[in-house]
Amino acid sequence: MDQPPSRPDQGLIAYKVDRVLDETNTDTKILVLSRQDGKPDTFPIWIGAAEGHAIKLALDTTLTPRPMSHDLIKSIAEHLNVHVRRIVIGDVKNSTYYATVYLENNGVERTVDARPSDAISLALRANAPLYITEDVLARRNTANLDLWLAKQDKGSMNQQEVRES
Amino acid sequence: MITQMHLKGLMFDPYNNAYIVVLRDEEGHEMLPIWVGKAEAGAISMALENVAPPRPMTHDFMKSVLDAYDAKVISVVITDLNENTYFAKIHLMYEDSEYTVDARPSDAIALALRSNAPVFAKETVLNKQSSEELEQWLENLKPEDFGKLDS
Repeated sequence: MDQPPSRPDQGLIAYKVDRVLDETNTDTKILVLSRQDGKPDTFPIWIGAAEGHAIKLALDTTLTPRPMSHDLIKSIAEHLNVHVRRIVIGDVKNSTYYATVYLENNGVERTVDARPSDAISLALRANAPLYITEDVLARRNTANLDLWLAKQDKGSMNQQEVRES
Repeated sequence: MITQMHLKGLMFDPYNNAYIVVLRDEEGHEMLPIWVGKAEAGAISMALENVAPPRPMTHDFMKSVLDAYDAKVISVVITDLNENTYFAKIHLMYEDSEYTVDARPSDAIALALRSNAPVFAKETVLNKQSSEELEQWLENLKPEDFGKLDS
């Protein structure tokens, strides 16, 4: 019942976080998602620097002396026995992606609207799977994608650095 | 003993390239500065100025998770300030039970502002803020830094 009829399960493609890339603009980072099944269809999302940092901390399983914002969200959920079941990037409007966080507590499922960066930051910490709808994959912003491809051509060294750091 | 604190100001500290959240008690006897990062300062400032961002920011999302299950923030308590490590507790009410969650004061305050929950400071924290250090900081504060958030 949590899946609207227009978006059946088979319309979901499993993705994972590949890496977080630095942008020339220091206020922005590029979050690169890749298909879980290994097929070559990477999905870049432009996110804020703070959001990128939060995702990198989770990716590198960096332990911070104090809980960061998304650690706190996870901690609150754990205290209330709320489980993060999955994250779905299910819409794109005016170049903005929309994510839905599926929560469950004692069989009661609730959905929460979020930015993909917050949703993914939480998903990584809660080991929850990430999906993108085929609809979003088909409607993704091609202008951004072209920029991204150009960047990939000239910036492969830089990417390697980011991945390994 | 705990004392209720009110947010009196949010200002940039160029020496540490950080922001200072200034909490003050009702009578203005006690002042508590808390150094926070840029993102956390932004989260507090948005709630203070009632800015509705086009998409939920991190602490709006945090609040949504609580709202999804009707959990409420009862209060936030700043429990300790130890050099650069700050401690706070968020008290939650969910299905007639109270839960206490460890947090940084910046996250706790950002969430409290969105939940209209009171913020308290433990007496020991207020006493720890040695008057010497505080006075030094207050000298650097311009009146307009405070005035902006008073109205």
